[in-house]
Amino acid sequence: MKYFLKSLVKTIPVLLLITLIVFLLVRVTGDPVSLMLPETATEAERDSLREAMGFNDPLPIQYLNYLRDLVTGDFGDSFRYNTDALNLILERLPATLELAIASMIVAIIISVPLGILSAVKRNSFLDLFITGGAVLGKAMPSFWLGIMLILLLSVTFQFFPVSGRGTLGHLVLPAITLGTGIAAEMTRLIRSSMLEILGQDFIRTARSKGLGEAIIVNKHAFRNALIPVVTIMALQTSTLIGGTLITETVFAWPGLGQLLVQSVNLRDMAVVQAATFIIAIFVILSNLFADLVYRLLDPRIKYD
Amino acid sequence: MKKSLWGLMLSLAVVLAGCSGGEESGGAEGEEPVEQSDSKTLVIANGTDVVSFDIHDHNTTSTEAVHVNMFNYLLTNDGEEGFKPDLAESWENVDDKTWSFKLKEGVKFHNGEDLTADDVKYTLERIAKDDTLLEHGNYNQIQEVKVLGDYEFEIITKNPEPALLNRLSRLGSGILPKDYIETEGWEVFLEQPVGTGPYKFKEWKKDDRLTLEANTEYFGEAPKWEEVVFRSIPEDSTRVSELLTGGVDVAVNIPPTDVERINNTDGVKAVQSPTQRVMMFTLRTDEGSVTGDPKVREAIDLAIDKQAIVDSLLEGAGTVTRTRVTPGNVGANEDLYGKSLYDPEKAKQLLEEAGHADGFELALSAPNGRYLKDKETVELVTAMLSEVGITVNLELMEWSAFNQKYQEKGFGEMFYIGYGNSMFDASLALDRLTTEEAAGESDYNNPEVNDLLLAAEQNMDADERAQQYQKAQELIAEDRPQIYMFQLDAITGINERLNFEPRLNEMFYVDSITLK
Repeated sequence: MKYFLKSLVKTIPVLLLITLIVFLLVRVTGDPVSLMLPETATEAERDSLREAMGFNDPLPIQYLNYLRDLVTGDFGDSFRYNTDALNLILERLPATLELAIASMIVAIIISVPLGILSAVKRNSFLDLFITGGAVLGKAMPSFWLGIMLILLLSVTFQFFPVSGRGTLGHLVLPAITLGTGIAAEMTRLIRSSMLEILGQDFIRTARSKGLGEAIIVNKHAFRNALIPVVTIMALQTSTLIGGTLITETVFAWPGLGQLLVQSVNLRDMAVVQAATFIIAIFVILSNLFADLVYRLLDPRIKYD
Repeated sequence: MKKSLWGLMLSLAVVLAGCSGGEESGGAEGEEPVEQSDSKTLVIANGTDVVSFDIHDHNTTSTEAVHVNMFNYLLTNDGEEGFKPDLAESWENVDDKTWSFKLKEGVKFHNGEDLTADDVKYTLERIAKDDTLLEHGNYNQIQEVKVLGDYEFEIITKNPEPALLNRLSRLGSGILPKDYIETEGWEVFLEQPVGTGPYKFKEWKKDDRLTLEANTEYFGEAPKWEEVVFRSIPEDSTRVSELLTGGVDVAVNIPPTDVERINNTDGVKAVQSPTQRVMMFTLRTDEGSVTGDPKVREAIDLAIDKQAIVDSLLEGAGTVTRTRVTPGNVGANEDLYGKSLYDPEKAKQLLEEAGHADGFELALSAPNGRYLKDKETVELVTAMLSEVGITVNLELMEWSAFNQKYQEKGFGEMFYIGYGNSMFDASLALDRLTTEEAAGESDYNNPEVNDLLLAAEQNMDADERAQQYQKAQELIAEDRPQIYMFQLDAITGINERLNFEPRLNEMFYVDSITLK
């Protein structure tokens, strides 16, 4: 317990650093006022808006004001929607979580059987096929995969709706798009982890006492092979959230990823800052969660 | 342990199924392709979501295109048939600075309140006085709105304002319900917007869809659709796929490369129509720049084959022009429209006369990804200019970096840009070419043009004013502080069950979209 409290305290400087980096990045990449007004706007129009938005204050003052508001849970208002940035993000979070969880389920459904199979039948044609597939899955850009899935399964065969969110059918294609890349990573990891375990003494013991192969693989080997897999799953949280930026845009999925992409394009600073902050918290929490699951999976792991 | 892990996953799956199963799919969703099951619902796919219901605090045409179904202007102007009454029954220009209006009686807001002159005063004075609103610059000419009775009012401008009607028939002029906003507050209005239009607000899921329903109490012709859904689909190819499968009835901003695919599919077609956006090069005309020599500017113009670019890169989705003020705008000079000059031999000769027989170098900056085929266009232009001996140092920039340099007026001899014009008036189209506005950018300084533009700005004689603008365009076309390339077309994909004529102002008056 003490360990987790310590870890939580350690996240504070990390979060502070993140706010500073994001704060500076959104300000050095272009004048938001001139992006908000059309090409035909005059200098006077830009000036009055800049003043109204408080962009004329020196940067350190702007940052301190931002931190002061942040402590009270005020992330500022979105320029685009004229509404509280945090609310916008919380509104979108369910859609993104839905997609992320579904993608993870897709990844697990694909990678667990394939990874085990590939390890058990190592160096066979099947193994080669699965490993090759994993490399391909990792190499395919999700942008391209998404569009191909739409063309094939929505336009040509019309099995699934093209885009949007609503029914379970809407979820299938984006979840496959996002889950494939993660499945590829996980398949390779489960394979190598299983191979390592299958060569160990206790497996030989299990075999020698006459246990069936299915029990050995499923009960003895797989559980032990899970530890590195759980790490990867937790680390994939950031990949997942990164992936939602593209996948949500392709499938017009109204989640956090699409919100962030559009906010970056329009320099909607409050939303970009708030979204990165929330994402950072998610990534940190998922890493802590991985630590916790480790301990449950392998009681030998102790933290001081 | 393993069991509990699987248990966790299973429960996640159940939660997931629970949160996605709750909503009704709606008749428009993919299952029944091309033939729509619900003929009373119209689904339109935009590239972006509406930004807000604060009609004064945005400057997005695609958002206005949605708002026009919920709010009414005092009068309308589609750029083709001139001004028509909408909420206003009649109007009159009393003197240089005073316009009197009479409102239609019996118009009700969606919440049942009557529309009166007080609502007009509230609406127009808010935008005219609050300088933090994005549309303020187009309304700060208004001094005040004087209410003379429930249905009569006067608009007083600070200076003579010949383009007032243009201003009142566009973005920012939808009349708002004063009492509703004052009693409930802006927050409530933004969540539950109320207007006078043929459709009223039903539901908004941000970045997904906005649903409007028919306003059965509408003062004009009864709404033709029971429900209208505006979907937000940012990815072009996804929007096209939705159109092809019947998921949406209308899809905007179709890339030229997809036109053939759409037209080869039964039940859908692509229609092309001009927009207000004109692509152009702005050139420095000051003495110190190589483009300061009019012969050099003429040679650059003559060296670029605009029609070839329209045909090859835009697949025909554009019209060449020698003016920025295209037909449909007050003051348009139609003699310069639909024409372009191309004569590389003469260009070479002009360069020789200007003392550049051995060629010279030129800096050209352009945004990458802001406008349709912007990068490809300037690359072709670079090649065309090299044919006559001009070496172009091309600088392609991401939009925000480009925009920064544009605001600072920091470009070299030439930059590529596209301007829209939602005013339908030459004043907005040409204001960058007055001596004052051009300083530091093109440094264009032709006293005759400057006088014409400044005089027209406040000339209340409509005919004379139009002539002033037309004359100015002729002079500009000869002086070439800007070299015009083409007017961009919008390509819209539609389901063939519908009658649909795209408009020059890119508005979707959904009642003009009807079932065949």
